Amino acid sequence: MDTKFADNRAWLLVLPATLLVFFTAMIPFMAVVNYSFQIVFSMQNHALIGWETFHEALTNEEFSGALGRQVLFTGIVLLIEIPLGIAVALTMPRTGKMVGPVLVVIALPLLVPWNVVGLIWQIFARGDIGLFGAFVNNVLHINYNYAVGEYSAWFTVVLMSVWHWTSLVALLAYAGLCSIPGAFYQAARIDGASRWATFRFIELPKLRGVLTIAILLRFVYSFKTYAESLTVTGGGPGTSTTFMTQMLTNTAIGQFAYGKAAAYGLLYFLIILLISYIFYIVLTRVGTNEGGA
Amino acid sequence: MQWMLWTLPTALFFGSIALLLLGMLIWEILQPCVERRGWIIPMRTTRGDRLFIGLLSSAYIAAFWLVFVPLSMWWMAAITIAILVILQAVG
Repeated sequence: MDTKFADNRAWLLVLPATLLVFFTAMIPFMAVVNYSFQIVFSMQNHALIGWETFHEALTNEEFSGALGRQVLFTGIVLLIEIPLGIAVALTMPRTGKMVGPVLVVIALPLLVPWNVVGLIWQIFARGDIGLFGAFVNNVLHINYNYAVGEYSAWFTVVLMSVWHWTSLVALLAYAGLCSIPGAFYQAARIDGASRWATFRFIELPKLRGVLTIAILLRFVYSFKTYAESLTVTGGGPGTSTTFMTQMLTNTAIGQFAYGKAAAYGLLYFLIILLISYIFYIVLTRVGTNEGGA
Repeated sequence: MQWMLWTLPTALFFGSIALLLLGMLIWEILQPCVERRGWIIPMRTTRGDRLFIGLLSSAYIAAFWLVFVPLSMWWMAAITIAILVILQAVG
C-alpha cells in the first residue's frame, strides 16, 4: 500500500473497541496497580505501604516457587507438544475422503472445556477405577497415584495438557503444510532429496510463521493454566503442582491478601508482557530482512 | 473511584504516563517520526517502540533494584527516566 490517504476518519471505527478495552482492561489494571502498593483489609480500611508487597513477592518462596514450577511446566509442555504436533500434522492426509473425519477427530480435544478435561483425567488416572491409573498400577506394576506422589501428579498434569493441546499445534502446522505449493515437493523429488531433507529444508522453513504463532499460543495458554490441573491435583501434593494462577487465587481469595496478590499479579503480567512482545517482534519481522530480534 | 483505591503516588504515576502519551502524540503531529535503527536496540524502531521498550525495561529495573540494590527507589526512578531519554535520543 503506497497510496497515502489524507482522510483518516476510518480510525473512528476503532473507537468502540478502544473504549471497550479501556473499560474492561485498562481500568481494572490501574485498580490492580493501586492495590499493589497498599495493604487492603477492606474497601474502607486500607493503607499505603509502598514497595513492601513487591519486595515480599520478589523474595519469598511462595512466588519464586510457583514461578519456577510454572516455567518448568510451560517448558516441558512446549518441548513435547510442538514436535509432537508437527509429527501428527505430517501424518495427516492432505487429500482424499479422510481429510474431514481426521480433522474432526484431531480437533475434538480442543472443544472440551478446561475443567471437564480436568474431570476426565481425574477419573481416567485414578488407581482404583480409572482405566489409565489401574493399568499403570496393576499391569505395569508402577506405583502411580497423582494424589500422593509428586512425579505422578506432574506426569498426569503434563500428559493432560499434551492430550488437550497438541491438537492446536497439529492443526496450525497442518494448515501451514497445506499452503506449501506442490512445486517445492516436485523440485525436491527431482533433486533426490530424502524425506528428512524435504522436511528440514522445505517444510520447516515454510512452517516458521505458523509455528511461531503455535509456540506463542501454547506459551501463553500453558503459562496461564488453571482449571485443568486444579481439578485433578488441587495444586498438590503439597504445593508441587501449584502454578502461578492457583497461587494468585490462593493469595487473593484464600488469604484475602489483595495487596500482595496484586503485586504477584503485576509481576506475573510483566513476564507475560515481555515474552509476548518478543514474539510480536519476531512475528512482525518474519519474512523481512531483519530476521527478528 | 473508591473501589480503585487511588492514592496520590499511583495517581501521579498514571497521570505522568498519560501526559507522556499525550506528549508523544503532540510530538508526532508536530514532527512525524521516522523508523530508524539506533545504537542500543538491535532493530528498527519508532518513537513509540522505544517508549514501550523503555517503560518495560524500567519495570524490570525497578524489580531488580528493589531486591538487589540497597539504595532509595528515587535513584531507580532517576535512572529509568534517564534510560527513557537515552533510548529516545540514540536507542
